Amino acid sequence: MGVPTESAAHSLTLMGLKATFIHIYDKQYKVLLALSFLILLASIGFLFFTKAQTGEYFQKGVSLKGGLTMTIPVEQADIEGLEAALSSRFPAADISVRGITEAGELKALIIEASDAPEDELIDALRTHGLPMEPGTFSAEVMGSSLGQSFYRQTLIAVFLAFLFMSIVVFITFRSPFPCLFIILAAASEIISTVAVVNLLGVKLSTAGVAAFLMIIGYSVDTNILLTVKVLKHQGSTVFQRTIDTMRTGVLMSLTAFAATMVGYFVIQSDVVKQIMLIISIGLLFDIVYTWLQNAGILRLYFERKHKHAEGGQHG
Amino acid sequence: MGKLKRVFTNIRVIAFLVFVLFMLFAIRPTPWNEGVMIKSVMKNSSAALAGIQNPPPTAPPLVKEVILSMNNKPIKDVADYFSFVKGLRVNQTVQIKTNKGLYKLVTKEAFQEIELNQTEEVTVPETQEVTETINGTAMLVNKTVMVTRLVEVTARKAIGLEDLGLRVDNAPTSNLRKGLDLQGGTRVLLKPAEPVGEDTLGIMIDSLKERLNVYGVSDIVIAPVQDKPSFLGEPSRFILVEIAGATEEEVKDLLARQGKFEATIGNKTVFRGGNDITYVCRTAECSGLDPQRGCGTVQGGMVCAFQFSIALSPEAAQRQADVTKDLRVITERGGNYLEQPLKLFLDDQEVDSLNIADDLKGRAVTEIAITGSGFGANQEEAARATLESMKRLQTVLITGSLPVKLDLVRIDTISPTLGQQFLTNAWWAGLLAVAAVALILVLNYRRIKIALPIALTSLTEVMLTIGVYALFGWSFDLAAIAGLIVAVGTGVNDQIIIIDEMLKKQAEVVYGWKDRIKKAFFIIFSGYCTEVVAMLPLLFAGAGLLKGFALTTIIVVSIGVFITRPAYAAIIQILYED
Repeated sequence: MGVPTESAAHSLTLMGLKATFIHIYDKQYKVLLALSFLILLASIGFLFFTKAQTGEYFQKGVSLKGGLTMTIPVEQADIEGLEAALSSRFPAADISVRGITEAGELKALIIEASDAPEDELIDALRTHGLPMEPGTFSAEVMGSSLGQSFYRQTLIAVFLAFLFMSIVVFITFRSPFPCLFIILAAASEIISTVAVVNLLGVKLSTAGVAAFLMIIGYSVDTNILLTVKVLKHQGSTVFQRTIDTMRTGVLMSLTAFAATMVGYFVIQSDVVKQIMLIISIGLLFDIVYTWLQNAGILRLYFERKHKHAEGGQHG
Repeated sequence: MGKLKRVFTNIRVIAFLVFVLFMLFAIRPTPWNEGVMIKSVMKNSSAALAGIQNPPPTAPPLVKEVILSMNNKPIKDVADYFSFVKGLRVNQTVQIKTNKGLYKLVTKEAFQEIELNQTEEVTVPETQEVTETINGTAMLVNKTVMVTRLVEVTARKAIGLEDLGLRVDNAPTSNLRKGLDLQGGTRVLLKPAEPVGEDTLGIMIDSLKERLNVYGVSDIVIAPVQDKPSFLGEPSRFILVEIAGATEEEVKDLLARQGKFEATIGNKTVFRGGNDITYVCRTAECSGLDPQRGCGTVQGGMVCAFQFSIALSPEAAQRQADVTKDLRVITERGGNYLEQPLKLFLDDQEVDSLNIADDLKGRAVTEIAITGSGFGANQEEAARATLESMKRLQTVLITGSLPVKLDLVRIDTISPTLGQQFLTNAWWAGLLAVAAVALILVLNYRRIKIALPIALTSLTEVMLTIGVYALFGWSFDLAAIAGLIVAVGTGVNDQIIIIDEMLKKQAEVVYGWKDRIKKAFFIIFSGYCTEVVAMLPLLFAGAGLLKGFALTTIIVVSIGVFITRPAYAAIIQILYED
């Protein structure tokens, strides 16, 4: 299917690669399965480590804990110098300064401060040489109690989304084990994504939480595809059916990944950037947890079941 | 050719095409539009006096009036407008031609009050409470005495041309309403200091609207938000206020100033907001169209009357009696009224004036009936106008006595330049995302014939989703754009499932085409359900500020499953059959 004749040599190596991959994927699936669990364990470990270090499982941005965000359009700025100056001016406030770039050019500064009065901060920025004319910059002030209530609500939202998703999955398959595998994959994806988001030093905003809900949706999409194919199509081995479906599933993840990466690099809005980044990370983990973890478990599960039913016959 | 005919006579394809046309009509892209759109008209400004109407803030962009020329000079964009306005002098007549009519506007001079750093003595009457002994008992009596005060002397200084009172933007190029974060402005989230029910929140919103109207702020959206659906228990309620083009200071100032209510008779205050009006009836038993006076025919139409009752505190009732006891009775329009009307003020601006029936003269009545009327071309219109003016009056009366304080819990100010940048940027992002997805499809299938229709379907889904926004007049914001870009990537998923199912090797054809599509749809539908339910909580969380993201996602996947997918499957089925 779809191998162009004009680049026969090229596709030969590709075929070779493909064959090697299929071989490993077939024979070493237990190792790959273990690998996926290793990644999951490492992620969980990292989250606990973060919790022990900072008291939170992840860093919260101002929209989840209250504070101030300012976006100031600039062409050039000394980001580190500004951050140091602001931090010494407001020692009690947790201040961070970041730049937003478009095609390598600085477009705007983003300043986040958890505990600094807006007027004083504007004054400080003005003395630092930034043009702080009203109407030229954007500011977002979030009350801290509202931030905390947003945080609680978004956690509840993720929990509810997870619950609803599980119900739909159970209604679809009416078979407990495959459903549990799907839910495990979705949960693993979220956990690993949070870990990587932590690792990158991203402070989560409310919009970021929205991205996690999207990951739940994506994850289940590919996992349902896999489970339906393995469960409901007969006539070939579980492995054969998995490999057939994988091409479709990985392509689905890759198209979504391409769109979100474009969104991440092109869009200037910090909020949207975060959504795109989180979904992109989640999509990569989707490939791992669907095709290494869930596919591995399903194969193990069905081959065991087969053995029991037909007295040790291998697929 | 036979296949093509079958494609275009397929019911699903036809339904799809009809839908596309319908949405195109809803968006109505008009990139060639020139002129400047009137976003709002300030009260009492020269523009308002010339008769230019203030559009409702939620009106679709293409409905709003567009200025085409001023003094016969074509106005193509905002730059033209401002350069024209810059050259205006005081008391100049300007002819404004819009797409709806011709207006004659006279420019006004603006003044500034300045304090001259000197004081002068003025004598003013003032009511004071004095204890007097009457018949041997000490009583508290109101007495009017003349008081001399020192006041700052101010002078009015002309400071040039007064603002015309028009807020403008470039003429819309489509019917899509831009959200606040794409056009600039200020958004605040207000939280009642104590939990309130839906009704109270509704009253608060009405009175906020009334108050902000007094200031002529019109490009404003005030909406209730709650953090979960009501059937899941009592939610936290907020009021979202979005004012396009306003800065943070302006909005804070407005919200701080609001809420002083006063009613006077002949310059004497009879009641104030707070404790004086204890109850304003809004239920059917004691408010509505007046059954005794009903509706009647007048020249050019019908007039209906309304009536509702309010309760005053005993002190306010007494004040009313004191002020009215010396007033003369006059006969006007078939009724006997006192010579001075009751004037209602909101933040020192007169908002209404009511005649006082003669039987109230000098009597301390705590329950008063307020009446009024409305005019319309026919009975139905008159009745509607009457009820509207009744509601407005009730709101004004309640305004002064709102029981709950509003706390400002969140302020966002978005700079208009950044907003514009975001928008241009987002279109690029959208196009590039589609291109990237198309590229991956081409690399995978190595056949344009397969990749192109999939990418096209995804593009149509984006278009249809924008159409839904335009159709319902929802504002399109950054969150919605994020949802759309993500959808470009997911939108193709289901087509991929269908085409892969179709491209399966010949040997595997154990099922017919129909079975295959049915199987593909089973997967697609389960995936659809999970995506929708996962997004549902987001419609409420975070006071609905991320609603755009959830809504867009839900719309895109729904359009995908119910409209584009069936058509795509039908086309594929016809093309690959036999």
